[in-house]
Amino acid sequence: MSMSGESEDADKKGFKLFGILDVQNVPCARESLLFGAGSALAAGLLHFLTTSRVRRSYDVGFAGFFVTTLGSWFYCRINNAKLRVQERVIQQGLRNKVVYQGTSLDPTQTGPTQMGPTQPQPPKDF
Amino acid sequence: MAHPSQLGFQDAASPVMEELLHFHDHALMIVFLISTLVLYIIVAMVTTKLTNMFLLDSQEIEIIWTILPAIILILIALPSLRILYLMDEINNPHLTVKAIGHQWYWSYEYTDYQEIAFDSYMVPTQDLAPGQFRLLEVDHRMVVPTEAPVRVLVTAEDVLHSWAVPSLGVKMDAVPGRLNQTAFIASRPGVFYGQCSEICGAKHSFMPIVVEAVPLKYFQDWSTLMLEDA
Repeated sequence: MSMSGESEDADKKGFKLFGILDVQNVPCARESLLFGAGSALAAGLLHFLTTSRVRRSYDVGFAGFFVTTLGSWFYCRINNAKLRVQERVIQQGLRNKVVYQGTSLDPTQTGPTQMGPTQPQPPKDF
Repeated sequence: MAHPSQLGFQDAASPVMEELLHFHDHALMIVFLISTLVLYIIVAMVTTKLTNMFLLDSQEIEIIWTILPAIILILIALPSLRILYLMDEINNPHLTVKAIGHQWYWSYEYTDYQEIAFDSYMVPTQDLAPGQFRLLEVDHRMVVPTEAPVRVLVTAEDVLHSWAVPSLGVKMDAVPGRLNQTAFIASRPGVFYGQCSEICGAKHSFMPIVVEAVPLKYFQDWSTLMLEDA
């Protein structure tokens, strides 16, 4: 959150495609667009070299851009979402580890559990 | 908080807001691709030398431009509905705070254990300390613990108001005679600003909301202090 940090804004100010899509700061955006641009170039060039039809090659190139960008965007975002879920599970596990350390609920404890009057009760929402 | 000439969202301070930001990026990419497609078609139509005076119909393109938008809408709707239901999940709040809208200030009540109640007025511009934000600072902030689900019950004493904090992804109308419930989890410590979001009179723009998220120990110290001052 930038309060008065002008330098932070300068560092984080990314290039906005069409003035709306912040390519540098949106996860997966840069990769998807680069893949799309690359495949547009490749598909268009290949089509032109095989058929020598200029306008149709532009169409094929654009279609390649559209499909590749969309496909790589979804693939990257799905993996990103899975990583975020894993990150939350790990964070929750670390928090639990700190809370339960030394108690019967400690997942790392391998010896016989010792129940005593000072054992903390787990919160109901865990 | 927002910075001058900001167009996008503020940084997320709650898991729900993070999900909303991700969904917004997803929808924006689709919008961007559709925009490029339309732009390309416009340029192609304008620059073509081809003409056909006898074109009546074409089943293939009709099928394409029916099926493709349907697929795109489904791809947008699925994450949207997921977040919608995520926001309505029961989350066993650790703390309940009542936020009551008045003309023109908010009051907060913490009544889970003992009674803590205070008013939250905007700090006038002439009374701001160096580094404070104009039209956003208040004399008494709403303090909540981090990483704890907090339930906010929103109502109003006089006219319609709306309790909104963009960083936390919450906005709830304050309706006189009605109790509305919303909830959030502050993922990180910090100070999060919001403003009344329902027109409520002359000083509608001058009744901000400030939520201060602190670790539990400091929240306990703060609540002890508030009880002593009461």
